[in-house]
Amino acid sequence: MSAELKHKQATAPAVQVRGLNVVYATNQGDLPAVRQVDLDIEARKITGIIGESGSGKSTLVMAMMNAVGKPGQIVSGSVEVLGVGDMLSIDRERQRKARGKELGLVFQAAQNSLNPLRRIGHQVLDLGRSHDVKDLRDLLRKAKDLLTRLGMDADRVLASYQHELSGGMRQRVGIMFALILDAKIVILDEATTALDMLSQASVLEIVRELHKERGLTTILVTHDMGVVADMADRVVVMYGGEIVEEGPSEFVLSHPAHPYTQGLVRAIPRISGDIDRAVPLQGAPADLKTYLEPGCPFYQRCPVAMPKCQESRPTSLAVSQDRKVACFKVTDHD
Amino acid sequence: MKIVMIRFVKRLIAGLIMILVVASFTFLLVRLMPGDPVQAKYDQLLLNGLTPIQAMDEVRVMYGFIPHQPLWIQYVHYLSQILHLNLGQSISYEGTPVMRIILGAAPWTIILVLTGTIASFIVGVLAGVIAAIKRNSLAGSAITISGSVLHGIPLFVMALFLAYVLTTIYAILPFGAPYNAALTPGFNGPFLSSLARHALLPVFTYALSSYGGWLLTMKSSVISVLGDDFILASEVRGLKTSTRIGYIAHNAILPLFTILALSIGFMFGGSLFIEDIFDYPGLGNLLVNAINSRDYPLMSGAFLLITVAVIASNIITDFLYSVVDPRIRR
Repeated sequence: MSAELKHKQATAPAVQVRGLNVVYATNQGDLPAVRQVDLDIEARKITGIIGESGSGKSTLVMAMMNAVGKPGQIVSGSVEVLGVGDMLSIDRERQRKARGKELGLVFQAAQNSLNPLRRIGHQVLDLGRSHDVKDLRDLLRKAKDLLTRLGMDADRVLASYQHELSGGMRQRVGIMFALILDAKIVILDEATTALDMLSQASVLEIVRELHKERGLTTILVTHDMGVVADMADRVVVMYGGEIVEEGPSEFVLSHPAHPYTQGLVRAIPRISGDIDRAVPLQGAPADLKTYLEPGCPFYQRCPVAMPKCQESRPTSLAVSQDRKVACFKVTDHD
Repeated sequence: MKIVMIRFVKRLIAGLIMILVVASFTFLLVRLMPGDPVQAKYDQLLLNGLTPIQAMDEVRVMYGFIPHQPLWIQYVHYLSQILHLNLGQSISYEGTPVMRIILGAAPWTIILVLTGTIASFIVGVLAGVIAAIKRNSLAGSAITISGSVLHGIPLFVMALFLAYVLTTIYAILPFGAPYNAALTPGFNGPFLSSLARHALLPVFTYALSSYGGWLLTMKSSVISVLGDDFILASEVRGLKTSTRIGYIAHNAILPLFTILALSIGFMFGGSLFIEDIFDYPGLGNLLVNAINSRDYPLMSGAFLLITVAVIASNIITDFLYSVVDPRIRR
């Protein structure tokens, strides 16, 4: 019985998003940033979420922590986090406790994620006190271990202020903050985008190591296809606030099914060969007008659009055991 | 530590140069004034029947100037007098050294303006934080409006209104004079309580009129800090609300710190309207009287004091700033 339970726990998704809708209030009306998203984040896997700027990736992960900033607002849906409950409906104190302790986020602007007026060590202690950590000395030791792992002089960093650290160091400190309370689910929202190639590679390498070592569930939000190909077990492709394709990354990237994913893959410039072999996607990303149309959000830019695509919106359907695509062209075969 | 000392000395030298410039400017201003008050006094004394030598001595004692001497000798003389803390003698309070008059008036202003400033700063800053955090609620808007309205009412209107309500209609508080003249000044209970009761209304008026400025500045400062990334990060890391408010307040208060220090420097200008209306014998009152009675030595002495106070508070702020903001330290 216990073996069966164990098996069930191992396969239960770490995060289960259902019917999630997030809108941003703008002058022209409510802009849906995340639309009707259903998503399972598999435990102990690295999931890459990819898409253009404004496709709703960051909003989606912020909504997972129920931390969407104004003017954004979560309209409906649920985010079931393993061992916590529905982040969108549990009381605020439990939400706060879950942030940091269950869900660690290294966010987009992690370079400015520290209080400029407090030493890093003090901020570690602030974090510990907020989460009722009994042994603060032990917490500092953990911080030191992590910082050393991340390739820094731990004592110096803990005694430093933010402005005394370089961009790459701050980013690593941000990762330390996401991991120090032993969060099992770690979200990196464009966490390495601001870094140069070498720092990015070394930070990603450390993330991969820690992921394996601690059995983490890692979510990697990026617009860098290379990072996804390199790191992710699964990939989720977002367009216009919707998930258009998801599946194991090697299959999705080698045989993209959705025309948008195909466009993304074609647009990657290669190290060798003619730069013209990278084909940019035609047209402009989805905007408010696109959202008001009844059809597929990608219709305007789609090279293989059919009349049907203008009239109704494709839903995400399974095309194989663990692969889903939201495109009539792909799902309408039979 | 050594770098700090070097910085301090640099600042000090810069401050002294600034004081020198202002002192020179005051000197020239008095000399360039139409009608030349020094010459006029000298002429007047001659008309009164004094011999030229007697008249010159009299004027020298009074202004610290020597008429008929080249400007630069007068200038050097004036500066050396300042170095000896001798600001000359007052004209309107005949024969009294300016220094003594100013030192006598300063405590009244310090009681009044310093208490008022500190009280309004504390209340205004706290209200500003609440107004910013709750800016979309009724309570937040109410606080903001209270700040704007109080900030908009001229000080003398507020003073007269409060005096009318609290001393005439409801006769709760005494009006005019800094203490009950029937009591013996000194460190005794009745005198001190009378002092406090008389100070209450002017201090309250002063605090009320500057509260709005602190509130509005703090509110906008807090709002801009709220938009900073590290505040979002602290939320995402699940920090306690009290810790987060501490982060916000600490970051938001820095710009106000400079304003506070400067306004304490400007305190030595006194508060003209309040001291006038409540008949408080502070520096503001002194300056008004000096201007009204063309008491040039007293005027230039008062201006010099304001200058020194502002420059000194500037230097002190610089150093305190490096205590509260680690980014300033090098």
